[in-house]
Amino acid sequence: MPARPDRDGDEQLRLLGAAWEEAARHWQDEVARQFEADHWTPLVEQSRGYLEALRSLLDTFEAAERDTEF
Amino acid sequence: MTTVHADIDALKGLHEAMVRFRYAQREVTERGGDEIELTRASLAAKASHWQARLEQDRAELEACRASGGEEAAPDCSAYARAVEQTGERLELIRRWQQRVEVEADEFRGTAGAFGDLLDSGLPRAETQLLALITSLEAARRVQASGS
Repeated sequence: MPARPDRDGDEQLRLLGAAWEEAARHWQDEVARQFEADHWTPLVEQSRGYLEALRSLLDTFEAAERDTEF
Repeated sequence: MTTVHADIDALKGLHEAMVRFRYAQREVTERGGDEIELTRASLAAKASHWQARLEQDRAELEACRASGGEEAAPDCSAYARAVEQTGERLELIRRWQQRVEVEADEFRGTAGAFGDLLDSGLPRAETQLLALITSLEAARRVQASGS
């Protein structure tokens, strides 16, 4: 049974976060701070928001299927 | 000009991770959209099935009631219960259909914004990072040739 897409999305976000952590260990100048503010933080926040909305929607779908199996 | 202190390989790793993330999350959004359509189709099929069943149950109830003679009314309570139960099931499915539509509509706004991020915001970040990597590599080449 394939994993739910929200869980795959969580895993992809975790992998990207690990790559960011690795880069941030070696990249600590003003350009890095600007990149973090302009791109990284909005990317993570919007990704989390989307994945949370997807998780909630898929939970509803699963409940709908369960509740209408007679 | 701002001095950049960064490890090129780490930045390349981040850039590759961002590209992979964009493709993978695009697939996630497509699968999310597929789930909406699958659930709508599944509930529609169930509603259709139980609507047909309700019509059949009603017809059987009517046939039972019509079968009585003048002396005694037939006992059609089992048919009546079947009509009631099927009607309740159909009503439950319709309530879920409404809820799914409402929640899917709400979700589309969030999904649209995230899709825009994947289509334009993230590629911009990737381009900026790639330009930084290119400039760092050029600077390293200059340093190497001057030493």
